[in-house]
Amino acid sequence: MATHEDRRRISIRLSILQYVITVVFSVLAVSFWVLQVVEHAKFEEMAENNHQRTLALRAPRGIVFDRHLQPLVENRRSYSISIVREHTKDLNNTVQLLASVLGIDEAGVRQIVERHRREPSYRPIVVVQDASLAQVAAVTARRLDFELPDVLVEQVPTRRYPDTLAAHLFGYVGEVSDRDVSANDALRSGDIVGQSGIEKIYNAQLMGEDGARRVVVNSVGREIRTLEEEAPTEGKRLQLTIDYDVQRAIEDGFDQLGFNGAAVVLDPSNGDVLGFTSRPTYDPNAFAAGGIDRVTWASLTTDEDRPLNDRAIQGRYSPGSTFKMAVATAALEEGVITPDFKVHCVGSASFYGRPFKCWKKGGHGTMDLRHAIEQSCNVYFYTIGNMTGIDKIHKWSTLLGLGEKSGIDLPNEVQGLVPSPEWKQQYRKEKWYAGETVSVSIGQGSVSVTPVSMAVYAATLANGGTRVTPHLLKAVDDGSGWKPVPPPPARSRSPLDPAKLQAIRDGLFMVVNGAGTGHNAILKGYDVSGKTGTAQVISNQGKEKAGKTDKDLRDNGWFVFFAPRDKPEIAGVVFLEHGVHGSNAALIAHHLMDTFFAKKEGRPLPPKPEFKANLVP
Amino acid sequence: MFERRLYYHIDWALLIALLALCALGVTMIYSTTADPTRAMSRLYVTQLYGIVLGLVAMVFMLTLDYRTFTDKSHLIYIGLLALLIYVLFLGNVQMGARRWIGFRGFNLQPSEFAKVGVALVLAKFFGENRGAPTSTDLAIGVVLTMIPFALIAKEPDLGTAVTLLPVFLAVAYLAGMKMRILGVLFLALLLAAPIAWKFALKDYQKSRVTTFLDPSQDAKGAGYQQIQARITVGSGGLTGKGFKQGTQGQLRFLPVAHNDFIFSVLAEEQGFAGVLLALGLYLFVILRTLDAARLAKDRLGSYLVLGVLASFTFQVVYNITMSAGLAPVKGLTLPLMSYGGSSMIATLAGFGLVLNVRMRRFTN
Repeated sequence: MATHEDRRRISIRLSILQYVITVVFSVLAVSFWVLQVVEHAKFEEMAENNHQRTLALRAPRGIVFDRHLQPLVENRRSYSISIVREHTKDLNNTVQLLASVLGIDEAGVRQIVERHRREPSYRPIVVVQDASLAQVAAVTARRLDFELPDVLVEQVPTRRYPDTLAAHLFGYVGEVSDRDVSANDALRSGDIVGQSGIEKIYNAQLMGEDGARRVVVNSVGREIRTLEEEAPTEGKRLQLTIDYDVQRAIEDGFDQLGFNGAAVVLDPSNGDVLGFTSRPTYDPNAFAAGGIDRVTWASLTTDEDRPLNDRAIQGRYSPGSTFKMAVATAALEEGVITPDFKVHCVGSASFYGRPFKCWKKGGHGTMDLRHAIEQSCNVYFYTIGNMTGIDKIHKWSTLLGLGEKSGIDLPNEVQGLVPSPEWKQQYRKEKWYAGETVSVSIGQGSVSVTPVSMAVYAATLANGGTRVTPHLLKAVDDGSGWKPVPPPPARSRSPLDPAKLQAIRDGLFMVVNGAGTGHNAILKGYDVSGKTGTAQVISNQGKEKAGKTDKDLRDNGWFVFFAPRDKPEIAGVVFLEHGVHGSNAALIAHHLMDTFFAKKEGRPLPPKPEFKANLVP
Repeated sequence: MFERRLYYHIDWALLIALLALCALGVTMIYSTTADPTRAMSRLYVTQLYGIVLGLVAMVFMLTLDYRTFTDKSHLIYIGLLALLIYVLFLGNVQMGARRWIGFRGFNLQPSEFAKVGVALVLAKFFGENRGAPTSTDLAIGVVLTMIPFALIAKEPDLGTAVTLLPVFLAVAYLAGMKMRILGVLFLALLLAAPIAWKFALKDYQKSRVTTFLDPSQDAKGAGYQQIQARITVGSGGLTGKGFKQGTQGQLRFLPVAHNDFIFSVLAEEQGFAGVLLALGLYLFVILRTLDAARLAKDRLGSYLVLGVLASFTFQVVYNITMSAGLAPVKGLTLPLMSYGGSSMIATLAGFGLVLNVRMRRFTN
């Protein structure tokens, strides 16, 4: 039986408990209010970060076609495998497991991770670019077992250069540099951009827009479902002026000869680049999957032949005898001589008290302009060059495209040099000596030209004075059909007197079809006209002094050409580094013109050439 | 025996509140586990069985006068100790602890029933005394509590063992234990904390406490659950993400969502509104039970009711606090809502006693 006192105590103590409990629950309610209502936004964002991932969908770069819409550069799918440290519980363990699953060196993986240590942890660290299917399968299986929740396998479109040709023309792609990201708002870190060639110049068109996929993932990173997907927009497709078969012919020619060098072939009427190469070449595919590996890069950059150097637009070489048409043009157009002007060659001539030799010891006898070009008589050109003067030679060679940038749509073109007294005064602080003009008249001295400017030179002679701008882009397709890109305006127009020009063309015709050095380029029915040039790399005295050396001291060989003589459709240059003689370059020119005309007329294309028989050793 | 008129004195309001909480629990368990691709998809059915068995136990506790149970409490107590000892040596091991006795398809967890057993035996012991308990009485009470405590802590299941302490404190408090002694006890506990820290706590227990103080120091490890709990609750907002729409629970960012963190799931999917509803129901149950203690016709009844209520309240408050990431993560379930058959049966049986005391307040 409860006493009254007991009852009282129990009642009081229960009341205290009532109040305490009520207070405790009120505190709980307020706490939840703070978490759920006051701080809701913060936690909602955290929850979203927990379970939503935005995955970038890489946009494929635009496909590049030749002038007949044959694909030259395409895309393929590759897989990259990365670690997303944000979801890593034990990085050490992940690295160990991943390396063993992939069958790669653990230290290497560690190195890669270490290199990106400072980056935000949500950014994937790519461990393997272009993973094999076996590697992808191995990782995917482990992910399903929750063993590697922090490893990401992504499909990325990767550039593919199906035929290894025109590597310098296409260029290569690679990850954008931090500097470019800060300079260009459209670029984001990790983007793949063109680093050289067409890929670089037309990067904005080719790049496309990345898409994104927002997915829900669970606590071990497995994708549960897709919330929304924004498809990537493929980059614009480019149609180039390049003709695949002409390009192939050039590449085959160089492969056959084995020389380094360059070739540029144009449509002389508008500057369309039909073929373009620089040798030695490299494989742009090596750069495609997110970056080139160090070993390959090191071998490319330390190679003494400098394969990354685009000789066609960056190499400067002495033009040798191919320069003689510029001197002839200047002399004719300035009225210094007529085509019938004659010079007697006895094998050498004296100017300003110094002897200048002709290449033919006994001399050519009496020659007019046509024959002087055919025979490449040095004495003839010493004489008319000296009569014309350096200023006029400079003027006309510039109008023909030499010593100037061609304006081709490729990055980092360099300028050649046709010297003038002003140039010498400005850069060498020296007076011009009249004797120098004599050397310049046969393309020696300080004259240096790029192969691409030589192609413009050939085209200008072919079309009668219009210095076309070589260009590679013919049309662009942004998804709504091809839109032609008008050729850039000519750099200059200086119509040459047809009668005078004809004399030069006759000479060039005779070089190939007469008694000249260009026989290798004969193409029956197409009146190929051209001029060889063989330029010393080192003077004769120097050669003797050097004696036996490992350095390649063989002469450089040029061949500039156009065809047919009276209504040219193709013009260009083939340059062989240490190619011994210009007639070797004519072999390649022959093959590419043969291919060009065969294709144009629907004949079967010529087979791969065999040059050995006609090669000057 | 069960007299017909007693039926009218059953506290239907309390019973309905209890069933409402059970229903809320089953709904949340269904929400987090009903994904057919997962092995747990039928857990809610098991929980329903648990509720049915719990109601059976409750009815059983109602049919006999509570004094019958307290009279037999020493036997019940000894039986419980026997079960706990049995578990310690022959129980099933799950997740590194021996806590269960395996029946066919059903695992019984005797420690859950210990709470009721200790409430019965303490009510009986203190109810027989008149006036404030002497220190000898208190010492005997402590011993009676500490024996099952030690057995359960040894399993190891410190969380459940700790729930026995409020039972003793509550009964002793109501029996008139001097507030001074309560103060001393509290002080002793404070002083004992550093010693326990050094010698008694295991490393994983220590890390739970340190990470509670600063969860970010171990965001991937021990602090993970706590951070995730806060995110779960906070992201629920005012009205919640909707039934089965919670991302934290559904996508398993929150571990054992159907068990220890069922309240977090409720907070996420039903928002602050759902939280208020559940808190209100629990508060109603507790206050209503305190009422029953006040109405009891004898001290014995009051003590028994408060003994049952003490471990219940302690667990509810602790679990809800933990669900919001506001207390160190401890394997303490939320009575009536968390998944677990033994807990459900024991809890409902305990409330059977509470209803019993209130129902028989007019009988002799």
